[in-house]
Amino acid sequence: MTPLAIVDYYEAWWIQIIKAVLIFAIGLQIVPVVLLAERKLLGRFQGRYGPNRVGPYGVIQPLADIVKLLGKEQSRPNTSIGPLYILAPVISIMTAVATFAIIPFGDAPHIFGTRVGLYGIDVSIGPLYIFALSAIAFYGLMLGGWASGSKYSFLGAMRAAAQLISYEVSQGLALVGVLITAGTLSLTQIVHAQEGMWYIVPQLAGFLIFMVAAFAETNRAPFDLAEADAELVGGYNTEYGGGRFASYYFAEYLNVVVVSGVATTLFLGGWLIPGWHSEPAWLDPFVVLFKMTLFIIFFIWIRATLPRLRYDQLMSFGWKILLPLATLNTLITAIVVVAVHG
Amino acid sequence: MSYIVFFIAALGTLAGAIGVITLKDPFYSVLALVVHLISLAVLFLLLRAEFVAAAQVVVYAGAVMVLYVFVVSYVGGESLKGTTGPGRAGTLGAFACAGALAIELFIAVLGSGLKAIGTGGAHVAAGFGNPEQIGTLFLTRFLAPFEIASFLLLLAAVGAVTLARRRGGLEDGVEDRPTISAVDFLRPRPYYTGTQHETLGNAETLTATQAVERQERPT
Repeated sequence: MTPLAIVDYYEAWWIQIIKAVLIFAIGLQIVPVVLLAERKLLGRFQGRYGPNRVGPYGVIQPLADIVKLLGKEQSRPNTSIGPLYILAPVISIMTAVATFAIIPFGDAPHIFGTRVGLYGIDVSIGPLYIFALSAIAFYGLMLGGWASGSKYSFLGAMRAAAQLISYEVSQGLALVGVLITAGTLSLTQIVHAQEGMWYIVPQLAGFLIFMVAAFAETNRAPFDLAEADAELVGGYNTEYGGGRFASYYFAEYLNVVVVSGVATTLFLGGWLIPGWHSEPAWLDPFVVLFKMTLFIIFFIWIRATLPRLRYDQLMSFGWKILLPLATLNTLITAIVVVAVHG
Repeated sequence: MSYIVFFIAALGTLAGAIGVITLKDPFYSVLALVVHLISLAVLFLLLRAEFVAAAQVVVYAGAVMVLYVFVVSYVGGESLKGTTGPGRAGTLGAFACAGALAIELFIAVLGSGLKAIGTGGAHVAAGFGNPEQIGTLFLTRFLAPFEIASFLLLLAAVGAVTLARRRGGLEDGVEDRPTISAVDFLRPRPYYTGTQHETLGNAETLTATQAVERQERPT
């Protein structure tokens, strides 16, 4: 019944539905928290308070933002192309949510006597699933910018798309090192393979390349040229307002969460706690969420620290520095693995 | 369930393929091709060929079609206006070619002894077609075709670089815009480039002339 997944235990259909709803709900709840954390932390980094009017300590601010966005009229420029304009944010958000399904929050413990995997699906193709969905996410940005019928949106979409395909290559090659070392594509098995040592240690170069590419893939500063507001007003989502803009916004932050989850799984040992191998299973999701939080704060920190690059710098950095380094990392890892394991 | 998915994907495949050749606007043609390729990937998933499905999406929808979308959205549909159709001979020739291709494909499919056609489907072992098996086959049984194909792709890449190279170069004295290299990160940063460190008052205060002198002084 479930293509993509090969597991050695049986999950009833209702468990899968509960899991899907639960994981989606967690994703839905994380994003407003990330929004708030980003605005609060950016405020602190810049020597100001950040939002502090709605609710105690400003914690209800994201809720107010979302209610405001959803309550707005969904306007559409005359030059836009209706169906594609409406479809584009849907593609973006769909791919972001679908990618979230493969982040493992834990192993497959026994809950009330049945084995339940603490993840949406454990795909046999692992990271390829992420790359396939990020390939489809490209069309969300591209169609949004193109169908808006505005030159700012179009240029933003072109930048976003060019950046996406340039850095996807390096990101993929950076992961190959991990895959060779682990000898498997399944994300849960990659976590198990890290029981001796987290892959951030032997694959430090791969980790750094992956993180740099992740900033470009999620269109975050310093690689946020797609929405360089000084030159492009707002990038591919310039003409969007109300709920559709909220969708793009949600997808963008969910992508940050997903990339943090992938980095946690592949490099920081997922749910493993160093030196404690018999931790209770209920602790696993919290360990993963904690490690993801570290990455998310790192994303925000970088945004507050580094200025935006120039577009040609971004491209030459991607192709002339990052890609050769990623290739070299793959090659060296392969040689070392063959030399060690023979 | 799998029947519903199959029919949706099959309809998507056919509609996409028909859309590619019937739609007038090249941008929509390209989008129809994307729909076609993604629907094909869904069909692969139903056949439990996850790796092929992912490769289909990553390579075709994610890389090849992206370039098509780029070109078409930059150039737009205007360039095709004013061109005439293929003419009667061209149309007939196209139909003849398509018919010949269809007959050839039918012969190939029927002659290949695909036992699954017309039955309940082939039985496959668990783990059939997973990345491990495909990788093993690539490096053992199909090593020569695999290497030849990668050599072909290398040739294509070199050819593309050669064709796209700037012939004759820029005028004398006009260089490319400076690009950053790995070495730039090792060089000392010029003064007054606005780092957080300087903002917080950690930099020594220099007058403008002092700063210029520092810049010009060989390090």
